[in-house]
Amino acid sequence: MSASVTASTSLPDSPRPSRLRRFSQLRTYTQNLSSLPGQSYRHSLSSRIPWRSSASDSVSPPTNSTAPPCPEPDHPPLSRYTSAPAPSYGFAELNSQVSSTESAASTPSTSTPSNNVTRTPNSMARLRSSSAVHRPPPRTLERATNSQESTPSPEPAAVQNNVIQPTSAPAEGQETPSKPDTKATIRFFPYQDSLQSSRPSLPFVPIARTLPSESCVIRVGRYSERDGIPPPNPTEPSDAPVGFKSKVVSRKHCEFLYVNGQWHIKDVGSSSGTFLNHMRLSQPNMVSRLYSIKDGDIVQLGIDFRGGEEMIFRCVRIRIECNRSWQQQPNEFNKNTESLIKNLGKGETSDYSGCRECSICLGSVLRPYQCLFMAACAHVWHYKCISRLLHSPDYPMFQCPNCRAFTDLSAEVDDSNDSEEKRDKEPTEDRTTNNSGEQLETEGPSVVETNSLEGPSDQLEDLAEEHLVNNVENLHLQDDQQTDDTRSTASPAPNSSTDNLARSATINIPGWQPTQPLSVPSGRQSQLRTDTPVRSETSDDNPLTPRNDSGPLAFDGRAGMP
Amino acid sequence: MGSIKRISKELTELTESPPEGIMVELADESNVYEWRVKMDGPEGSPFHNGKFLVKLSLPTEYPFKPPTVSFATKIYHPNVTNDEKGSMCLGMLRADEWKPSSKIAAVLQFARQLLAEPMPDDAVEGRIAEQYKNDRTRYEEVAREWTRKYAC
Repeated sequence: MSASVTASTSLPDSPRPSRLRRFSQLRTYTQNLSSLPGQSYRHSLSSRIPWRSSASDSVSPPTNSTAPPCPEPDHPPLSRYTSAPAPSYGFAELNSQVSSTESAASTPSTSTPSNNVTRTPNSMARLRSSSAVHRPPPRTLERATNSQESTPSPEPAAVQNNVIQPTSAPAEGQETPSKPDTKATIRFFPYQDSLQSSRPSLPFVPIARTLPSESCVIRVGRYSERDGIPPPNPTEPSDAPVGFKSKVVSRKHCEFLYVNGQWHIKDVGSSSGTFLNHMRLSQPNMVSRLYSIKDGDIVQLGIDFRGGEEMIFRCVRIRIECNRSWQQQPNEFNKNTESLIKNLGKGETSDYSGCRECSICLGSVLRPYQCLFMAACAHVWHYKCISRLLHSPDYPMFQCPNCRAFTDLSAEVDDSNDSEEKRDKEPTEDRTTNNSGEQLETEGPSVVETNSLEGPSDQLEDLAEEHLVNNVENLHLQDDQQTDDTRSTASPAPNSSTDNLARSATINIPGWQPTQPLSVPSGRQSQLRTDTPVRSETSDDNPLTPRNDSGPLAFDGRAGMP
Repeated sequence: MGSIKRISKELTELTESPPEGIMVELADESNVYEWRVKMDGPEGSPFHNGKFLVKLSLPTEYPFKPPTVSFATKIYHPNVTNDEKGSMCLGMLRADEWKPSSKIAAVLQFARQLLAEPMPDDAVEGRIAEQYKNDRTRYEEVAREWTRKYAC
């Protein structure tokens, strides 16, 4: 949160008229209030800070220079990235701060000094922004994408133009679920051969890769300390090499490529061989041709050495999972399941297409008051029925008995989809208050894209500020009222202020990204307002801070009283 | 025993609305794990007009483990062993292909389908498979004869 405070206080044109200052106070206020800090932070970032000129210079890039350049210098996205100038890093760094405060960001590797990893915060933040924010604020997003995909040009207008190209794809599959996700994803799971009573293969954490672009290659080889540990499950597109700690895996063993919409594997001259469904791809130390692979294929790297007694001499058996991205995006089935779960026990068991019976006991999962388990693929069983498969020797790996999708049950909880869920609900639950807020947000991107940063949008911002200042006044009033009322249960008062905010949200300001309270569902909003807000302590004449004449420990409601 | 519940459910379903050409009953009323299935040879196949007794045994781990299907009636078919066991090789019944969501009805229908369309590449009786591929008329002759002999 400190980031956001500095962000708004370190505005270059700092001596602002007081009403503007109050505006920024409002902003910090809402930020402190909000339970979704990234959101408002981002808004303030995207709308206010001339990043390239001020902040980026002061923020030093992370320790990227120490990172060993990735093996192949001819690797386009990486090298482009390394050549990207400071601003992007500054941005990335700040974002990483945010995301680490936002939620214990699930990638443990943000500090690892490798090229691939330094990318993580940047686009992780990008992903986060696209998901945490109800509609991604285009400018922020685009700057992130831009720094990654082309060298940013100094003048903003050009940047904006650059960015309209479809590659920026603000939210992959999130904003427009209808748009197919073109990114190629592949996942590697440890596979134990159940038929032959052979020795277990090398255990490893499941690995996922989503190619940043089709020309990328996932190199597989022996793990080496020098390369650092690539994140097994990066949250953003990555072609980081995959390493296995086994001596039977060559340093350069094989590669996974995505050609013409199809995944392929190729042995790149391994000494102990790459096997695709038990077939060896090439002679020792020979490069093989491309072999297409499909979901469920088994790839084995090397052969057990010395009987595989020691872990380090075990071969690697990988079960491939690919072409399953359709399953990870909203589709009819899992949306149905979602509504099924929402309506559990409400007696609306009518039209859920797909299996609404537990495929194990063939009983209904629709009856209320029973323990259910839903896998990532949205198949549902009774917990009692499925528990056998959950608590198997393979735990934490779970294979869906219906569709055979593998899930890592110990995987970090990915909360980046929450906002999507919220967005889905919002139109129904919040239509009354948020209608035009929605509209406003949907047209946000296009407006901003066509405008340059300076000029018209400044006017717009002025407008917005004026408008917000009004809000501040209202808030001020409401606040007094509220603090007066604190001893009685505070719920009525917040409602009125909620209404107030909601009403203000219906005023359509093109190009203005509404600050956070405008877009949260009213339920949460009132909740926020009932919670004693964390006041901004940046200035004395903060209109939102109630006077406290009774001493520092008077938090019982007397504070605001004259 | 969750499996008993499921099995009796499937049994009820199958007895109430049996699939075409398939009749199921328990071999022993007290044991739901052993089924006797009467299967009519599908029309258009050399097994037409034959009535085959099929034994279906369910493991106690059902539905996590696949059932086994065997022909008590002798049958001349590349996918059924020509011995007293008469076990049938079904792809979906292999341990690594089996899904708990597959039902017995599907297994039986698949088995019956296999009578109409043998899968010589997946055969357990190589000689019959060979004959099926190379000398279809002779294969059908023998199959019809066996059907007449054993299944009528």
